Amino acid sequence: MNQLPIHLVVNKEDYHLFVKPNRVLLDVLREDLELTGTKEGCGLGKCGACTVLLNGRPVHACLTLALQVDGCEITTIEGIGGEKMHPLQEAFVDKGAIQCGFCTPGMINTAKALLDENANPSEEEIKQAIAGNLCRCTGYNKIVDAIHSCGCQSKKKKGGIK
Amino acid sequence: MRIRPFDFKAATSLADALNQLDQAGSNARVLAGGTDLVLNMKKKNILPSMLISLHPIKNLEYVEEKNEMIHIGALAKHADLAIHPILEKYVSILCQAVGLIGSWQVRNIGTIGGNLCNASPAADAVPPLLALDAAVVIATLHGEKTVPINSFFCGPGQTVMKPNEILKEILIKKPLKPSAGCYLKLRRRKAVDISLAGVAFQAESDPSGQRIEQVKIALGGVAPTAIRVPDAENCLVGLSIDDAFQKIPMCADKAANAAKPIDDVRATADYKRTIVNVFVQRCAQHVLTTLKNYRGQS
Ligand SMILES: Cc1cc2nc3c(=O)[nH]c(=O)nc-3n(C[C@H](O)[C@H](O)[C@H](O)COP(=O)(O)OP(=O)(O)OC[C@H]3O[C@@H](n4cnc5c(N)ncnc54)[C@H](O)[C@@H]3O)c2cc1C
Ligand code: FES
Ligand code: FES
Repeated sequence: MNQLPIHLVVNKEDYHLFVKPNRVLLDVLREDLELTGTKEGCGLGKCGACTVLLNGRPVHACLTLALQVDGCEITTIEGIGGEKMHPLQEAFVDKGAIQCGFCTPGMINTAKALLDENANPSEEEIKQAIAGNLCRCTGYNKIVDAIHSCGCQSKKKKGGIK
Repeated sequence: MRIRPFDFKAATSLADALNQLDQAGSNARVLAGGTDLVLNMKKKNILPSMLISLHPIKNLEYVEEKNEMIHIGALAKHADLAIHPILEKYVSILCQAVGLIGSWQVRNIGTIGGNLCNASPAADAVPPLLALDAAVVIATLHGEKTVPINSFFCGPGQTVMKPNEILKEILIKKPLKPSAGCYLKLRRRKAVDISLAGVAFQAESDPSGQRIEQVKIALGGVAPTAIRVPDAENCLVGLSIDDAFQKIPMCADKAANAAKPIDDVRATADYKRTIVNVFVQRCAQHVLTTLKNYRGQS
């Protein structure tokens, strides 16, 4: 089983890597790039802890082969926000939407993709979007609140610009 | 969870994929989104010696209208199909069904071709396609062949496709008369769960919206492959819409009787049969009401 070359753009940085075919994106992110923000829960597509953005859309890094996303743009939790926290991250902290934090990177990635697509989602739309992200601690209400509050914020900002 | 070693090739085109697949022998598989295949490789259910990945092929993700037909490329992703304007306009039942697959994460990378080729008896795209009398186009080394969807599946996990063939596209005839459809599925968890039972119900009325001309009902998850239930369909065909409402319970009984579910870890056969009955009634109510409202508008 030979290693094959791939080019990934992870959090806007270019990486040229050699990977074996049997490695999933999650392992390459965590082990080769040392981006350990992305978590492995079930490894079976059921919990959403491994959610990353593939060309802006949430997918499971645990079921995606690294070679399958050659040439793609990947965003991990490390790429959300920068020097300062992203408004979503602030909202999660403010609203108490983080307890153990294991689900948080996947949850924030999914929420980010939702807000990019729909600046002011309804509660129902938020629940639909995060239906694939399990949280064993918070009971979800605070997570939904946090995402909802960001939706309103970005709307306010847009209104302000107008 | 480790995956056993295998070789990997990326196909640059459909023709290239067919050639590579043929040379690689019968233990090779094509990779689309990988949501079924990679999972099965992790679980050691499938141990291919080689994967031919279709990911570089960008021109198989289309949804197009050509005359009376709608063409859907095998690599179209569920998330795109669920909100596609052409599908919403003509065959919204398919949008409803693929929009219920897995989670957003699964729909963003899982393809309709993978859903069909995986041939799970519970695959959500299948009952609507059966109820729409769809066909699939299979690409082979010697050209293409078109197979009606009702003769595509042979059993759980099995299709008529040979190991060196590739699904290219799905064909659906546009409904020419007022039509409506509804897909309902039962699952234990609200998301990320395959269906215990799925019911697809598609009906067409005459142009004036008075009479039911066609009813197609397909059931998923309650037989070795998804099935049509002609006896149930015939209960409603030819009736005025108002009379058809009266016959819904009879139609649902016939559908439930035709189902052949088995007891499994998820639910008992009896429970699944009851669910089929209830879902056929709910689907029928919804579809007949929609058709009746069209009449009101026209
Ligand atoms: C967490 C989770 C939840 C899920 N929930 C649902 C659900 O609710 N409903 C449902 O129906 N499914 C569900 N699935 C199953 C799966 O996501 C779908 O069947 C999906 O459409 C498969 O598409 P794919 O592109 O990922 O296929 P892949 O995994 O890439 O391929 C599946 C099989 O089809 C073959 N194949 C793929 N494309 C072609 C082609 N063009 N020609 C020939 N062979 C091909 C592959 O070789 C493989 O054997 C779920 C999966 C997961 C992991
Ligand atoms: S680790 Fe990928 S979904 Fe659970
Ligand atoms: S905060 Fe612990 S799993 Fe969500």
